[in-house]
Amino acid sequence: MTTESIVLPGRGEGIVRTRGLGAVTGRVVVWIVLAVFGILSIIPMIWLILAPSKTGQQLNDNPPFSFGSFEQYGATWNNLLSQNDGIILKWMANSVTYTASIVVISCVTAVLAGYALAATTLPFKRVLLIITLIAMIIPPVALVVPLFVEISAIGLYDNPVSVILTSSFYPFGVFLAYIYFSTSIPTELYEAAKVDGAGEFTTFFRIALPLSKGLFGMLAFFSFSAAWVNYFLPYVLLQSQENFNLSVGLGFLFTSSPALNPLNGAQQSLIGRPEIALASLFLAIPILIVFIASSRLLVRGVLAGAVKS
Amino acid sequence: MKRLAVALVAVVAVGVALTGCSSGAPSSSGKPSILIWADTPRIPQATEYQKEMKGKVDVKIETIAQADAQTKISLANRAKKGWPDIIFGAPADTAQFKDPSNGYAADLTKLVSKKIFDGFGEGNSDCLYDGKYYCLKNDLANTVLWYNTKIFAQLGLTVPTTMQEFADTAMKLKGTGFSAGAYGDQLYYAAFLQSSECPLADLTAANTVRIAPGDSKCTRVAKTIQPLLDAGVIDKRSPFDAGFIKDVAAQDKVAMTIGPSWWGDFVIRPQASWNVPAGEIAAANMPAWGTGKDNKSGAYGGGVFTVSSHSKFPQAAADAAVWMTTSNWMATAATTPTFPAYGPANKLWEARISKDAYYANNVYTAMAAGANNISQVDRPVRFPFNAQFGATLSADINNGKSLSVALDDYAKSIQGLAPQSGYKVVTK
Amino acid sequence: MARSRSSRRSLLAGSIMFAPYLILLLLFGIWPIIQATITSIGPSIVNPAGGLQNFADVVADVRFLPALMNVVVFLLLYVPIMIIVVSVMSLLLDTVQGRWNLPLRLTYIVPASMTGATAVLIWYFMLEPSLSPYQSALHALGITQGNQIWRQGGLAWIFVAMAFFVGAGNWIVVQYGSLQSISEDVLEAARIDGANAWQIGWRIKLPLIRKYLVYMGILVFAAGLQVFVEPQLISGSVYTGIAKDWSLNQLSYDLAFQSNNLAGSAALSLMLLVVCIIAAIVVIFRTDFFEGTGVGKK
Repeated sequence: MTTESIVLPGRGEGIVRTRGLGAVTGRVVVWIVLAVFGILSIIPMIWLILAPSKTGQQLNDNPPFSFGSFEQYGATWNNLLSQNDGIILKWMANSVTYTASIVVISCVTAVLAGYALAATTLPFKRVLLIITLIAMIIPPVALVVPLFVEISAIGLYDNPVSVILTSSFYPFGVFLAYIYFSTSIPTELYEAAKVDGAGEFTTFFRIALPLSKGLFGMLAFFSFSAAWVNYFLPYVLLQSQENFNLSVGLGFLFTSSPALNPLNGAQQSLIGRPEIALASLFLAIPILIVFIASSRLLVRGVLAGAVKS
Repeated sequence: MKRLAVALVAVVAVGVALTGCSSGAPSSSGKPSILIWADTPRIPQATEYQKEMKGKVDVKIETIAQADAQTKISLANRAKKGWPDIIFGAPADTAQFKDPSNGYAADLTKLVSKKIFDGFGEGNSDCLYDGKYYCLKNDLANTVLWYNTKIFAQLGLTVPTTMQEFADTAMKLKGTGFSAGAYGDQLYYAAFLQSSECPLADLTAANTVRIAPGDSKCTRVAKTIQPLLDAGVIDKRSPFDAGFIKDVAAQDKVAMTIGPSWWGDFVIRPQASWNVPAGEIAAANMPAWGTGKDNKSGAYGGGVFTVSSHSKFPQAAADAAVWMTTSNWMATAATTPTFPAYGPANKLWEARISKDAYYANNVYTAMAAGANNISQVDRPVRFPFNAQFGATLSADINNGKSLSVALDDYAKSIQGLAPQSGYKVVTK
Repeated sequence: MARSRSSRRSLLAGSIMFAPYLILLLLFGIWPIIQATITSIGPSIVNPAGGLQNFADVVADVRFLPALMNVVVFLLLYVPIMIIVVSVMSLLLDTVQGRWNLPLRLTYIVPASMTGATAVLIWYFMLEPSLSPYQSALHALGITQGNQIWRQGGLAWIFVAMAFFVGAGNWIVVQYGSLQSISEDVLEAARIDGANAWQIGWRIKLPLIRKYLVYMGILVFAAGLQVFVEPQLISGSVYTGIAKDWSLNQLSYDLAFQSNNLAGSAALSLMLLVVCIIAAIVVIFRTDFFEGTGVGKK
């Protein structure tokens, strides 16, 4: 009866009376669904945080959510360092450099292009915008093999610059910036500046840029979250291990270590499941921190705020 | 404007700095420098070589996943740079690498002394193409019969010498809770199909391959083994399956299994693997399918080192491949579970393993008996012969399909793939 | 006169500002497509004559049809699940304002940090009955062995689960943001009309965010079509080769770098690309998503 009153509500007096009970049940159901989804969402992360505290043996034998010991985190880390003389540190450093370069280049080019589309008399605006929209919907992995051919033709194969440049192509950012400059900032502001004799660049730096902190935040957020976990492109474009980013390095550990493939020789390598879990944590934590730090940014914005509705 | 310029310059500077870092400058002293790509089990020997060569040759080592060897070389071929000087891989990788369309593999016939080739004897036959050697064999991975003496004594079983006896013995395990092994991976091919000489990569001419699952040497396999699977005395899971290890192997319930020579030290013994107690495991000759010459073994693994034709230091590279496959260090190290292909190294390895108290008999005898008796019907081929096991043959077995269906699916897939690598296919 | 000079200056400035992005667009957006087009009709190892035959060869490849089926099944599961769960969860989230709202949103985006190899590792442990925290649930479903899940029929579900948990959280937060932007007046008017929470969600809010859901659906579809990383990684682990050439993108990769057939690979890339471009054009010209941005349907 109570469910009925949620699913089939009416307008009559009688039903309004049962709505009190129905509404309470409804809220309970809503809360249960929300909470269960939340629990399902964090279970893997809890498991991942606990896994490196255990030895490989304990990970298999003990209950999934048991804690090993704090010392074991250190031991796991040392095992991870044993791989090719601590190459994991190099991967982390690479991830930081690549991601930082990508975020800078992609955001700068996107803001400039977005402004040019929104506020200057650029020709073929509509065509450029449509191409940008198409590029924004096509996932970047669609072009990996042709990109590889191109990159090796221009001699940038196994060179981090190839990953940085290809990943800095950021049509979504251009679109966001375009929408921002054409809607969030009143055109009168630009007009006023231009009437005062300011050139396009002056207007951009004096008027538009100071008002774009929020835009930059959003652009950097999306650029970062794609660049940090970037896998397929660097996997194909980079050859030497010392050039890998953490994401590709982790994938490499995953397939070349005995952690999940016993054929790779447990006696010859210290990389087991806890070590893979720890490397995974190093990949996950920065992105988690950025996500949580910018969750405020995501609330009103992105689609609803960016796309004029 | 100025700020923009500064930002752009900074960006370019970062890029340039990165390029600077990554371009591998040739060593200034004129010392040869070589790059070795090897899978994890081969890393200890590569590291030792690096140590021994210190001051003479700069040795750089990178680990690779063995399954990636072909794609990684293809990528380098396309980019025309980034090749390793030597690489560890499967014999089939060399078949691909020596093909003119690939061109990675160097002809070793002149770079390696005759004495070394003589030392290999028959052991290096996988690397021989038209009278030239294109690789050096690391180990021989022929199959033998591993059995548990404690369980055999307990059940009063005798060691089978033919496949029929193997099947009969396995049937006696029915209802006892013991198992005659798990074959749901490449092992089904090596243990049964290959040893039976079922033609699946039979090169009848240079670029003609015979893939004939209807051959009687193929059909007899399903006929003999299917009943064992149906009776549950052999397992449809992979021998590396977590469930199989936990429920069966680590409970010391494997009475016998066919497995390659490296299984003792690598699969059966380690704590993290089957963890079978010391003093129980013995090896016997590979059960024979028939009489006379119908007694071949299969091979699971048995990698090779291939040398790059693009190497700047071909001699240093060839020397490294020689060391990796022939050194005394490799033969005597506790981290070498594999049966060396090189005769003199093999003698040293024998000295170590035959005295190993872990085993209940001298396991070397059975390994040696089968080492030069590996079926030569299927040859290393350029299409992904091994890689297709996972997608079809073992997937079907794991999913409970019949062995003959599994074989047909597999054969169909490689019949489709072989022409893409330039082979003519014969199916009868 | 003065106006045209300023407009010319504006044109120059605009072009300079647009140039860096344009270079990236030409280099990494347009060139690869031209490159792929040229490569795709060039000579291949199986077809030295080249031409459109390369496309036919790819379609006739023994691996093509199974991979296509896998991807179709994957998309049929993934896209609807994504749209339904994301809309339901964001609508529910929108009904509970207050101090628990933010913590809930934060928990939902946690799995988004676990992509690629991390996702594969985690799902291996979640789905291996002997190791899983969901052991009893798996047993209740009759699953006692890992290979009951890690098999052909189960793989699509596994990859859906991986992709879903990586993507859903962010989309829920994004769609929640869309719901937040619905004006309070509209909702208040509905309440005065006697609509309850359910009716408001279903009849008012959902239609208002419909275009964002369509947009999400298209993006999710385009990304799903290109699935690569998860099947590629799982094939290099315990279940060696289980998902080899499972997806079309893997096939394209293997054609290029294993079968040494770059032309075939380019042909397959182009076919996938065309599907993506069609999806993009549909969303741009056939939906109202980009209305008012100067490009959408008038």
